[in-house]
Amino acid sequence: MSVIRVSHLTKRYGQVLAVDDLSFDVHPGKVTGFLGPNGAGKTTTLKILLGLAAPTAGSATIGGAEYRALPDPMRQVGAALDSNTFHPGRSATQHLKIIATAAGIPHRRVGEVLDQVGLAHAAGRRVGGYSLGMRQRLSLAGALLGDPGVLILDEPLNGLDPEGIRWMRGLLRSLAAEGRTVLVSSHLLTEVAQTVDEIIVLANGRLVTETTLAELAGRSSVTRARTTDAARLADVLLAAGIQVRLVDGTTVEARGTDADAVGLAAAGAGLPILELSRHDEDLETLFFDLVNTTQEVAA
Amino acid sequence: MNATVRLARAEFRKLFTTLAVPVTFALAAVATVGSVLIDAAVAGKAGQHPLGSAAETYQMLKFGPVVVVAMLILGILVAGGEFRHRTIVPTLLATPRRGQVFAVKIAVTALFGAVFSAVIFGLGLGTIAGVLAAHGMHTLPAAAGRMYVGTVIAGVCFGMIGVALGALTRNTFVAIIAAVGWALFVEEIALNTVAPSLEKWFPVGASIGLTNPPAPDVLAPAAAGVVLAGYAVAMLVAASRTTIRRDIG
Repeated sequence: MSVIRVSHLTKRYGQVLAVDDLSFDVHPGKVTGFLGPNGAGKTTTLKILLGLAAPTAGSATIGGAEYRALPDPMRQVGAALDSNTFHPGRSATQHLKIIATAAGIPHRRVGEVLDQVGLAHAAGRRVGGYSLGMRQRLSLAGALLGDPGVLILDEPLNGLDPEGIRWMRGLLRSLAAEGRTVLVSSHLLTEVAQTVDEIIVLANGRLVTETTLAELAGRSSVTRARTTDAARLADVLLAAGIQVRLVDGTTVEARGTDADAVGLAAAGAGLPILELSRHDEDLETLFFDLVNTTQEVAA
Repeated sequence: MNATVRLARAEFRKLFTTLAVPVTFALAAVATVGSVLIDAAVAGKAGQHPLGSAAETYQMLKFGPVVVVAMLILGILVAGGEFRHRTIVPTLLATPRRGQVFAVKIAVTALFGAVFSAVIFGLGLGTIAGVLAAHGMHTLPAAAGRMYVGTVIAGVCFGMIGVALGALTRNTFVAIIAAVGWALFVEEIALNTVAPSLEKWFPVGASIGLTNPPAPDVLAPAAAGVVLAGYAVAMLVAASRTTIRRDIG
């Protein structure tokens, strides 16, 4: 059962199509990565989901309802969109107490979440003197105030040092293990690869892929074959439903399959194999290939 | 506790957790008390009315400009400051109903404005009473009470105009420049030069009818109150329409 549902979502700013007929679901008990390069439409989608922007078409719901229609929304959804939504003259405690007062959340939660994010020692200091990493933690504290079942975090690892990234990773996984729905956006797959279970990839406002990290890792396997007629071999592999790229007149690269399948396909077509090798692309390269292919098609 | 009350309590917390209110209050208090002491020091000299005369006391009681400027700036900060520091994002995540957020901001600013204006005027009035008593004088002119009420009303209206300006521009710097520019260049200089009889129908000109003693070229207090409140309401309606519809963040 999906908790977050985005359905045929479109957002246009004048001539610019920021989100283009986007649909995806996010499920509980998992950390879902919402990925794409800068300008892909991730933050726009999250703002629509949180009622901060209106869609041009389509819908974005949480638990079947729009954010604005949720009773006590902060007790159901916790969101951290960026690390600059604080008055620099207020302390972390003052900032969180204001939010807690407006949202009807007991003030004892302020101390609890500041403890949880490791900011208890700086609770009384003005936020204007905080580092980027501290502001990121404060942003997360605000999202956790209502002890919500859904967490939506926009680039939460920005500005964190390696220890901070490790801490955040552990926290997000533990929250998902409790059955919460965790949606984390990022522009770098490597940044979240050790954290997420499922990924949704965006480029130019469109969905590129919605899959599990394990399945994506499977696609990273590349088999390279050199033959006398690469174009014919490519046709044979495509007909077999294998993703293939023509490198040059004699070489093809097949993705997400093994050397046996390529060799057998070549043999079936009467094509000699002059060279056959297999390697695994790193996820980062695969991610860039996915995104850039979509951007090239869009252009 | 219902959502409106919670929101109001949060808005009051916002007011009292930054330096804007104490600094503005301190500056207004110094300007108010200072102006009384300066007026008292020059009373009866170089053509000034003597201390204790109705004319001189009315001059001392003109706290309108201090209250109006202070409340205009605070109103701009209440709304514009949320956009400047992007605290509007957590505000709307806690309370997604924008109409409710805007209405409560207006109500809290009005209530705070009434208290702020009353305290500042009271401080000035107390200083005048002290100065007069030190010279064996114990009476205030007949319109002092009316000026007190009128200054509080003007403070409330300009607080709301400030909220509207802050929400419309979403930029505290632009809002303050626009407000000062309007008051100084449009009303004081342009209108005074081109059509002085029209000035009393504009916000600053109308406020003089509330905050100053009776005079032939200003609106009567009731009319001044209606005109000023009309400007505040019109600007708030315009601001609410843009605030409720605009994308945020």
